Amino acid sequence: MTKFLLALFLIINFSYAQEPKKVIARQGQVSFFSYTSVENIKAENNQVLSIINLEDGSIAISMLMNTFVFEKALMKEHFNESYIESDIYPKATFEGNILGFDAALEGEQTKIIKGIFSMHGVTKELEIKTKIEKSQGKYILSGTFETLVKYYNINIPPLLAGNIAKSISINFRFEYQPYEN
Amino acid sequence: MKTKKILFTSLLLLGCIHFSTSQDLLDILENEQQDTTGYLPATFRMTRIAFGHSTEVRSKGVLEIFTSSRFWNLPTDRSQSFAADRMSTRFALEYGLSDRLSLGIGGTTFDGLFDGYLKYKLLTQKRGIKTTPFNITLFQSTSYNSNSISNPAIYDDFSDRLSFTSQILISRKISSDFSFQIAPTYVHKGLMVSGDDNQDFFALGFGARYKIGPHLSLVSEYYKTFSPMESFDTYGPFALGVNWEIGDVLLQFMLTNAVNMVEDAFITQTRNNFNFKDPNLNFGFNATYVIHFKNKLK
Repeated sequence: MTKFLLALFLIINFSYAQEPKKVIARQGQVSFFSYTSVENIKAENNQVLSIINLEDGSIAISMLMNTFVFEKALMKEHFNESYIESDIYPKATFEGNILGFDAALEGEQTKIIKGIFSMHGVTKELEIKTKIEKSQGKYILSGTFETLVKYYNINIPPLLAGNIAKSISINFRFEYQPYEN
Repeated sequence: MKTKKILFTSLLLLGCIHFSTSQDLLDILENEQQDTTGYLPATFRMTRIAFGHSTEVRSKGVLEIFTSSRFWNLPTDRSQSFAADRMSTRFALEYGLSDRLSLGIGGTTFDGLFDGYLKYKLLTQKRGIKTTPFNITLFQSTSYNSNSISNPAIYDDFSDRLSFTSQILISRKISSDFSFQIAPTYVHKGLMVSGDDNQDFFALGFGARYKIGPHLSLVSEYYKTFSPMESFDTYGPFALGVNWEIGDVLLQFMLTNAVNMVEDAFITQTRNNFNFKDPNLNFGFNATYVIHFKNKLK
């Protein structure tokens, strides 16, 4: 009986060590685009953090707003100071679940990620269609979605209304590695 | 019995381990976050607070087309001038040679000064693990007085017509709305009106910006000169203004007693004190158009 229990205990421990329960992306990419007839605005952030708990498919994303880079230097200043107010709201975060996520499945699967996104002091529920690829223990999540500027309490002066699109398209791509705690 | 105890303890331990690893995912990310929160956006936003330079410099490949105008009235009872009796305009081009070093050249209509400057950002305010409490920018300008001098007693060779201003601009963004700057200044003037006056001046500048909206801020600036001219009365230049940023256009509106727009001139020879009587009160308007020559994600 004792031996059996000991063996069970070892197996449990061993299995814990074998299969990582969490995977993390430290250099996730998020970019956004605003296309208008007046001006195209593009920004990229290559330092987005994300973590997935493979056991229950829960996912979290965190990014610093001031690590977005723009084509024009002044745009970055405007973005941080006048629009996103990154000294008051330095981060945007997302916390949610990958619905029906099968962590063991090799290859591609497309799932809906549902969760709560918060940015600029506003929280909003999002559902994002995401492509998940798994190969050799690595997970890659990528996708595109659109969101409206007006949801996030961002003040655009009427003079510049033509320069900034009402709907912003967002691309993301995260490559996950096993997370050692 | 003993087995059960061991089993129970190990299960508990297991539970503990499991509990400790199932902490909130966002908390894990919080710990993972590199210390890149340090960057503080825009202490003053514009390269000038009102008439004087701020610690801001433009990034590499950014050209600013800068026009600065002052309008004022003469103290005559009635005048038939359109809008204002007198005006002065400074046109300038200012270019970011690197992310730290800027170069500018300009010319002013009223006082005939042509000036050039170099501005180097030495330190940028940061917070986080590596904290830098201040922005420090070094500023050096040279101006050439192109006015014709009729008095033969005044030496007016090229070198006599040059004036120099050196400044150490020190600023701090105290809160997200409020920024403050002090500017120890040394001015060497060429072309003196009277031989009694010394040519070297020390001054201290104070400037502040208060953000009242996402695109709008109130600014004020004052320079105290410690060894003023003796041949005529001078006062410290003062300005109260509003800065408005709209995309690639930056506008500054101000009320000031400083007619001149080049550092050595407004610091040492502002002849009127700040009040609302003519010709002391100047309405000032600076417009900057920003052109980016290097449009790359960086």
